[in-house]
Amino acid sequence: MLSKIILAGEGGQGVQTIAQILADAAVAENKEVCYIPNFGVEQRGGVSIAFVQIGDEPVSFPKFIKGDIVIALSCRAVERTEQYVGKNTVFVYDSTSNCNSPQAQAKAVKGIPALNVANSELTPRVFNMIILGAVLGATNVVKIESVEGVIDQKLGKKFEKDPGLRELNVKALRRGMEMVA
Amino acid sequence: MDNNKAIKKEQKVFMTGNEAVAWGALAAGAEIMYGYPITPQNQIMHTWARLLPQFGRKFLQTEDEISAGFTTIGGVLTGKRAFTATAGPGHVIMQDAMSMAEMMRLPVVFIIQQRGGPSTATVIYSQSELVLTTHGGNGEGMRIVYSTSSHQELFDYTIKAFNTAWKYRYPTFVLGDGYQAEMRESLTIYDPEARGIKMVPAEPYVGADGVPGKDREPLQLRNTYNTEEELYEVMSGNIKNFKKITPEILEWQSIEAEDAEILIVAHGIISRASHGAVNNLRAKGIKAGLFRPITVQPFPDEALRKAAEGKKIVIIPESAFEQLATKVKRGMYGMNVPLDAFSMPGIGITSEEIEERVIQVHEKQMVRK
Repeated sequence: MLSKIILAGEGGQGVQTIAQILADAAVAENKEVCYIPNFGVEQRGGVSIAFVQIGDEPVSFPKFIKGDIVIALSCRAVERTEQYVGKNTVFVYDSTSNCNSPQAQAKAVKGIPALNVANSELTPRVFNMIILGAVLGATNVVKIESVEGVIDQKLGKKFEKDPGLRELNVKALRRGMEMVA
Repeated sequence: MDNNKAIKKEQKVFMTGNEAVAWGALAAGAEIMYGYPITPQNQIMHTWARLLPQFGRKFLQTEDEISAGFTTIGGVLTGKRAFTATAGPGHVIMQDAMSMAEMMRLPVVFIIQQRGGPSTATVIYSQSELVLTTHGGNGEGMRIVYSTSSHQELFDYTIKAFNTAWKYRYPTFVLGDGYQAEMRESLTIYDPEARGIKMVPAEPYVGADGVPGKDREPLQLRNTYNTEEELYEVMSGNIKNFKKITPEILEWQSIEAEDAEILIVAHGIISRASHGAVNNLRAKGIKAGLFRPITVQPFPDEALRKAAEGKKIVIIPESAFEQLATKVKRGMYGMNVPLDAFSMPGIGITSEEIEERVIQVHEKQMVRK
């Protein structure tokens, strides 16, 4: 079973960071993974997109026509990613930013107030962890424990200094999972 | 060399293709990289520069690609396993040095990560540097070019390129692309010796031991000739030798081609998308197969003819305009098999799109029956 995932947002929203964590978590589970960021000539700004495929067989091509799950974190990202939405796609977008809801025909369209929740319940810094949680919730593509393992590896030193930080990140992940449940 | 072996133990890693190339060059015992930054090959340079202090290697960033190409030649002349990497417009201006390596039959290793063209175009991806890589410059294509399709192959063929170059003494290319450069996937990195791959030793051209004419043949390094006849003689020798070694160098892959009715011919990353398409088509009961040249120069004409024999049609998907298709046409000259060039210049082609094209062609064929 191959999962095709697209994450898209404004540069700086952490799209590529969470794609990398997701990919690393899948590798840790011995899955076949292919992850490619889109990249252009711009140094900053613009919509950043990550294409991630996770499955049991080697992935045949880094890009694909329609995603199983497409997550867009800004209005421009919603517009950019509509082309990847098909009748079998679950489309998740951040409802806080008040975009025109996507016109594409999808299996399901879910607006989640991720930015709002980050700002009001947690902290804006863990916004991308909420989104990563939403990916896990919507796809079950990797176990949350694997993601925690990757985060521990990457941020271990910071967590040692501030144990509350780890708790905050895991809370954000779980909150994201709940939002798409 | 033993003390700075880059990879002591075989290990599975998850990295970008650019990193895989840098590790491949380290594993091959490459001593120096020369280069000038250009997307999408930058990360080869970055990775090499980051790792080299650990393993006692060297790096020189030159003022442009013209210089990067010629300094790599300089490194090779002094007997170093030297390489460079480039793409797109940088690749275009490096052709002068590549031609010189071709003229003098120097074992220079070039890594090409194709981006969109012509000109600056995109920094992303294409297969539009195929002909430039095989036949760029004012020469006759006396080059060996491996077209890879995965990170494992980027690693394997980077190692192999150094051996092919130093064994046969023709410039050798690893032809990747922006997708292969930037995407991440798993591969196994290893020390070639631990797998029984012996590295062909590099040896100096200039400053070699002994008195020329007495202890050894005098060395003549020429890229300038006075008469047509002189040049003709040298080129005829180079071409004759290239033809002789071609059977040893040719590499290709044939997947479910034997009983196929429709044959896809693709190279590089598009061969991988085509393989996916073949699997899906077979599951639907359509007899499709794949022929994939790994060496795109020299080109496996005979193997292609064998694979294409008796097929209803040959479909050639590529992210360029009829560059591979022209090579296929040449290879299949005189065969009674129709060709369908599926050219998508500057853009990726997914398995689904290739599958759809095959189905369309298949349906047309059924109607014709």
